[in-house]
Amino acid sequence: MNLFNIPSNELLQHLINGLTLGAIYSLIALGYTMVYGILKFINFAHGEILMAGTYAGYYFYFFLYDPSKGATYTIGIFIAALLIAMTASALLGVIIEKFAYKPLRKAPRLAPLLSAIGVSIILANLAALFFGTKSKKFEYPFDNSSMQIGGSSITPNQLMILAVGLIMMAGLKLFVDRSRLGKAMRATSQNQPVAALMGINVNLIISLTFAIGSALAAVAGVLMALEYKVYPTMGTMAGLKAFIAAVVGGIGNVNGAMLGGIILGLLETFGVVILGIPQGLKDTIAFTVLILILLLRPSGILMKNIREKV
Amino acid sequence: MKKLLAVLFSLMLLSLFACGKESDVIKSGETIKIGFLGPMTGDAGNYGKLMSQSVKIAVEEFNAAGGAEGFNAELIVEDTEGKVEKGNPAIEKLAGVDKVFGIVGAVFSSVSLAVAPKAEAAKIVMISPSSTHKDLPDKGKFIFRDVMSDALQAIVFGKYLAKIDNVKTVAILYVKNDYSQGLAMDFKAQYEKEGGKVVAVETALQGDKDFKTQLTKIKGTNPEALYIPNYVAEIAQILEQAKQLGLKTKIYSADGFSNPQIFELAGDLSNGVIYTQAAEQPASQIKKDFEAKYQAKWGEKPDAFSLNAYDGAKIILNAIKTTSSKGMSGVLKVDRDKVRDFVAKTKDYDGASGKITFTENGDLVVNIGIYTAENKKFKQLKMFKLDGEKLVEIK
Repeated sequence: MNLFNIPSNELLQHLINGLTLGAIYSLIALGYTMVYGILKFINFAHGEILMAGTYAGYYFYFFLYDPSKGATYTIGIFIAALLIAMTASALLGVIIEKFAYKPLRKAPRLAPLLSAIGVSIILANLAALFFGTKSKKFEYPFDNSSMQIGGSSITPNQLMILAVGLIMMAGLKLFVDRSRLGKAMRATSQNQPVAALMGINVNLIISLTFAIGSALAAVAGVLMALEYKVYPTMGTMAGLKAFIAAVVGGIGNVNGAMLGGIILGLLETFGVVILGIPQGLKDTIAFTVLILILLLRPSGILMKNIREKV
Repeated sequence: MKKLLAVLFSLMLLSLFACGKESDVIKSGETIKIGFLGPMTGDAGNYGKLMSQSVKIAVEEFNAAGGAEGFNAELIVEDTEGKVEKGNPAIEKLAGVDKVFGIVGAVFSSVSLAVAPKAEAAKIVMISPSSTHKDLPDKGKFIFRDVMSDALQAIVFGKYLAKIDNVKTVAILYVKNDYSQGLAMDFKAQYEKEGGKVVAVETALQGDKDFKTQLTKIKGTNPEALYIPNYVAEIAQILEQAKQLGLKTKIYSADGFSNPQIFELAGDLSNGVIYTQAAEQPASQIKKDFEAKYQAKWGEKPDAFSLNAYDGAKIILNAIKTTSSKGMSGVLKVDRDKVRDFVAKTKDYDGASGKITFTENGDLVVNIGIYTAENKKFKQLKMFKLDGEKLVEIK
């Protein structure tokens, strides 16, 4: 309606905001989609795995943070914190898979789903118990003053989110498409028994999938924490949105998850601006998109429409 | 015989009626019961714990000073968990079973609004130490509060911005909960009435962390000031993202800003934010004594609401003591209407929370302070009172 009233610099600003939001959704969505690709199951504890890893990174960073030691030191411990967050999430993801999902692999499909929801509730409440429910500030490792581009502002952190998101996604793409393990992963997702017959260690591949997906979520968690702080429920809504992004792109499809995240980020931002949807209803946009996609194109925008028995 | 029975029976009925009408009677050896209604468990349990501890001190002091004609008071604490559905059975019990004469509570506005009609019907004086919703005092003759109304600070701030700070255009960003929405709407109405222009009203949901879309839209309207009457978690995010987007306006807020956690979350960005809160009262000896007593007895410090709870309990007990009288055969007669009238007449009562005066409808008369934050400290800049429609500065 007021599409043509928006000044170009404001439009650019919304584009920047939408892209950074989308990059975070994409990173989280990858974990959902990879696990679904292999196990045909939605890991609803993914958001809480993200939260747990972020707390690990936060505490490491918090105890070593000392602005007086100079910029190189700060960036160094930040990178170390990022790696620790990734490792913690990866380990947690693998452990949860071993204890909560693997015993249920032969059970009806509803069982592991419920188990996942149970794990997510336990993790969120444990975090509230041990870390408290107050938000904690994750200090920027650099000066986050914004820069001006054509009347719009972009912060170094937004640039970092875009860059890190791009690098992670490109790296994952290379790994899945080019490496031997990636090939084994694809084989496992296509047909587990046959992959096992070909000498692929299916359990190892499943653990690896959980580890990679969870580590990517931890990256998203730390990037989010810089912008939005650390708190026990930080993974819940972000996880739900990322799940929608994965469905939009076509769950089980790595390219789809990346695309779906970006689309959702832009839709949320521009839906409010262009369609004039009240900001209070912002979350409605994502869920409406989910319903529409499930109704009109259940296998996502990137998937060929193959009917599958569920 | 039948006739005699009928006469006797109607006489009995009459006398019963007369008894109920006049005043409540407490037999010798029984206690004067008052209630506390608030969350004792659950997420908000700490609020209720701190406040009920204050009321306990007030009751003990009352009894130590001889009670009313030698009758002791007894406190009945009912847990609401901060929920309306628990508040209703709790007030039924206090009114029907315990037959209390006064209640300190409820704590949350939503619960107070729900239980107020029942307290009113049972003629129980209710003084809320913490329910700030503007509609509460209008719920009845017996309903009071000794905490500042939300509407008051919004009205004062609307006038202050338009007339004294001479801000011509304001954008508002509020979160959709009773507190923020109430303040935003009352402020907007008042500010526009005074000739100010609200150029943008943006909303968000409780728990939102990203306000960039709203702030980008607000930046497009180029306002002179931004009004954000929210809680600290949201305020910190808004301050940070406003800076990132290059939104350079004056920032105004309300008493939600006054939680020291803001310094932890927003750091230097909190500098220069201007907000409203009940005006500072000169530190009184009563407050110091009470705080020391509370610390000694419970091993923790009372919060601002606990001071209000203490004062509320003292006012109720004092009213009971003053208006009740000894009856025949050593009973104590307490007249609920007289207790209410005495509480309503409270004027310049020296309490731990400051001087307490009730308005005609039972709201607290309070001066509003204009505060700012500076180097991780809150500082009062000016003090105003509302004299009818006029804003008067108190020097």
